[in-house]
Amino acid sequence: MIVPLAHVLVLAVILFCLGLICTLVWRSNVIMMLIGIEIMLNAAMLVFVGGACHWGTADGQVFALMIMAMTSAEVSLALALVVYLHRRRNTVDTDEFRELQDQ
Amino acid sequence: MTATDLFIALPIILLAVGALVTLLVGAITRTTNIGIVIALAATLGAAFWLMQSPPTLPAPTLGLSAGGLSRLFGVFFCLLAAGVLCLSVAYNRERGISGEEYPSVLLFTTFGMLALASATNLLTLFLGLEAMSFGFYILVAIDLQRGVSGETGLKYLLPGALSTAFLAFGIALLYTVSGTLSLHELMQFTLTSGTPDPIALAGWGCLLAGLAFKLSLAPAHLWTPDVYQGAPAPVVAFLSGGSKAATILFLLLLLPQAVDVSALRIPLCALSLFSMMIGNCAALRQNHVRRLMAYSSIAQMGYVVLALLSGKSGGYQAAAFYAIAYGTISLAAFGAITVIERNGGGETLDDYRGVGSRQPFAAGVLALSLFALAGIPPTAGFTGKFLIFSAAIRSGEITLAVTGILLTAVSVYYYLRVVVALYFNHADNTEDTQPRSIPTAPEYAVLIAAATTILILGLWPGKLIELLSRA
Repeated sequence: MIVPLAHVLVLAVILFCLGLICTLVWRSNVIMMLIGIEIMLNAAMLVFVGGACHWGTADGQVFALMIMAMTSAEVSLALALVVYLHRRRNTVDTDEFRELQDQ
Repeated sequence: MTATDLFIALPIILLAVGALVTLLVGAITRTTNIGIVIALAATLGAAFWLMQSPPTLPAPTLGLSAGGLSRLFGVFFCLLAAGVLCLSVAYNRERGISGEEYPSVLLFTTFGMLALASATNLLTLFLGLEAMSFGFYILVAIDLQRGVSGETGLKYLLPGALSTAFLAFGIALLYTVSGTLSLHELMQFTLTSGTPDPIALAGWGCLLAGLAFKLSLAPAHLWTPDVYQGAPAPVVAFLSGGSKAATILFLLLLLPQAVDVSALRIPLCALSLFSMMIGNCAALRQNHVRRLMAYSSIAQMGYVVLALLSGKSGGYQAAAFYAIAYGTISLAAFGAITVIERNGGGETLDDYRGVGSRQPFAAGVLALSLFALAGIPPTAGFTGKFLIFSAAIRSGEITLAVTGILLTAVSVYYYLRVVVALYFNHADNTEDTQPRSIPTAPEYAVLIAAATTILILGLWPGKLIELLSRA
């Protein structure tokens, strides 16, 4: 491999942290949180592909493909929920949802 | 795919096909109960197949095995799903949850649990856990007529997806270090005695963070009370019993194969201590029964992590025993709550006043399961806690064990508060206006079965412990 594994790992860690920050900072908007989670999962896929290339096995690539399939299912589920919430409450701001909490 | 593969995968295939058939049948006919019947047949069929089939060699091409632990937990998950289905019939009718989606998604969730239970590599393990979580994301929000359902779904889905990302990243790092996804080799490689690889440790950190969300361990427990409050009661029974047991099984499939788990001692200690403290202390101040149960489940999972920590001296058996015992207790407790709440009965401690005389059967089962959660003999909770704390003391975790025992004593207070509300505080002059629901035959059957299992596991736990130590 031309690119050393360490570089792939560093890039993946940076991506993962960016995704995590996106999820934690834009806590009020569901769509932004989903984008952040997507970026984190992409970082995981990058590590898998890098690892597969390093070891010369296909396991990691298969795992990355499976994560893609899983992610699309997860996003469709989350967007269905977003559409439902938007119809019902006319907002996707998570701060507006505070019916369930400690009294 | 050989005959052996098919033999091992049959219960999983049965559940997946059952889920699809339920959906298709729902599109053809309008009767709602047929879906429940098909789902029941599929779960009981899978449980029966798992019970009668002899242990076989692992199926190499599928990444599945049918070892003792897998089959025991597989039977447990199938029976739990069947129990939840029986409980849901009357509850869903009164709450207006209709359609074939409910039994179908429930079967799909059980499919995920079973796939997780029989996994031999991390890919199957991960996909099984995710399939299970997807099912729960839908199930907790399935009651679309209630306003809080959407919020419940959101509060479970977003932390769940975040934990999935952590889990995937952790597995990816472990794969990069070891170059394999097979459980046995991966564990031998990443948790060796001596100084482990820093990347492997980072991977384990991410993996544990992801699992802490799923197990609702403090400090990743914040979703638990909200979801327990907002979701339909039978779903909470399944969530609390099934998903927790499946996540414990995830750790049980990984940790015992490691050479040396001492590298994970500090994070596991912290998770266990925080969960026990925060769960028990927050439950003391709760007036909402379901939220109280949620905080209690956080504390109970803290005890299980303590058992995993002291694995080498019998802690793994104790954790497996407690997972099954806790699942049964959850089924009984939330089954009783289902019956009590079915006719619009209240959710706070004040609403539970006098339920003991209005609905003696449901109140009795709820009281028994609360005694079990508090660890009072002769119940499954007592045996489980005894096994956990004795394993912890044998392996030298004295401080954590003593803290745990003291906190268990504290927890008796809030469990008994519910029992006192049930039996000793009479509702003032509202005796006739309060709704009362009579349990239906399936509810009777499930509650009696769960209560009997709690007592049998408390009085004669030897058989299950023997099964677990052989597995």
